[in-house]
Amino acid sequence: MDGAHDLGGMHGFGAVVTPGSDAPYHDRWEARVFALHLLVGVEGLTGRPGGRATREQMPPAEYLAASYYERWLWSAERGLERKGTIRPGEVERMMERLAGGEPEPARVDRAQARRAVAELRRGEPAEPAGAARFAPGDRVRVRRMRPAGHTRCPRYVRGVVGVVERVHFADRLPDLAVYGERPAPEPVYAVRFRSEDLWGEGREPPWTVSVDLWESYLEAPGAGRPAEEGVR
Amino acid sequence: MSQDHAPGAHHPRPAADAELRARALEALLVSKGLVATDAVDAVIELYEHEVGPHNGARVVARAWVDPAYRERLLADGTSAVTELGIAGAEGDNLVAVANTPTVHNVIVCTLCSCYPWPLLGLPPAWYKSLPYRARVVAEPRAVLGEFGLELPDDVEVRVWDSSAEVRYLVVPQRPAGTEGWDEQRLATLVTRDCMVGTAVPRVPAAAAP
Repeated sequence: MDGAHDLGGMHGFGAVVTPGSDAPYHDRWEARVFALHLLVGVEGLTGRPGGRATREQMPPAEYLAASYYERWLWSAERGLERKGTIRPGEVERMMERLAGGEPEPARVDRAQARRAVAELRRGEPAEPAGAARFAPGDRVRVRRMRPAGHTRCPRYVRGVVGVVERVHFADRLPDLAVYGERPAPEPVYAVRFRSEDLWGEGREPPWTVSVDLWESYLEAPGAGRPAEEGVR
Repeated sequence: MSQDHAPGAHHPRPAADAELRARALEALLVSKGLVATDAVDAVIELYEHEVGPHNGARVVARAWVDPAYRERLLADGTSAVTELGIAGAEGDNLVAVANTPTVHNVIVCTLCSCYPWPLLGLPPAWYKSLPYRARVVAEPRAVLGEFGLELPDDVEVRVWDSSAEVRYLVVPQRPAGTEGWDEQRLATLVTRDCMVGTAVPRVPAAAAP
């Protein structure tokens, strides 16, 4: 969906390097939210469409105002609600109990700890691409689209022509797969775009941006409707 | 001067009740018997102590001293890092991209915060920040300048937006003045930012012959 998370090219956010920005997190609770989110995923306690696609559903104003791990906290709660693991209101009631001085419960389960760490240490390489429609060196155009659901096709490359740089592997289209559908795996390409084609003439010497795109997002550059002749 | 209050600076700090809310969610799951506090601790430990940029630095140092390894790394990143015992979530489809005298690579994820965890650990706050994700694809040299990295005009900047399940690792150039250094010593020059592309390795003045 074309939400606030799709940030490439936006203005107005200020400096990148600021005091404290070098650390992965600032407070202990942020580390615990990170770990808890991974853990409930590994343990199958959350419903679709997964943390990443869920965070994109945050109302744009909230997404932009939230800190990084507040967004993770939000998606953890939504995922747990969707699976029925927790019910709306339960977190708020626990907040009141803790605020009232009730101690936090502790529970030890060494098997769960081992399971989680083993899962995170495990790699799962994608399968090699089979027959690919495009080859390195081919010019391709990113399709125009405005998908209502999850997508990994950033706005700033749509409609732009680039050159296929690599054929990475085959993967299921996330636009469908995050909702539990099982489309056939399709080639994923690295497509290189010239800065002039993305942004026009800029103040910096030309550069390139390579974006990883599923075959469904791409078409031959000649495809599509010709420009309207009557447009002035 | 702090840039926190510069016009347009956007680095939201957590709301006051976020901490309480986070504690409550964990307490709720623990009280339901679904989550163990030591399992949460174990995941944190994994990324604070075991997995971090020292892994990526080992890979780069090996590539600097062993041309055959470098070739394997650039051809098939995942297999090459597995040779060194490095694997795991968010690193299973690794592509290593090499800096040269004419090319400088930098990585980003404009849509979220994809990052090669097994090689670099968890990303710094700036990597996940709105300004980095918004700007590095649209004005890379201005962003690199904030890190103190100025590149000659004839160097081509290549930005890699990790929009699929590929995770990128930048292989920086081996700096001059390190002839005869062993892998372990070379690895000390390879910082996290060098492998993201917002820095290049520098030989400390004291270490120069």
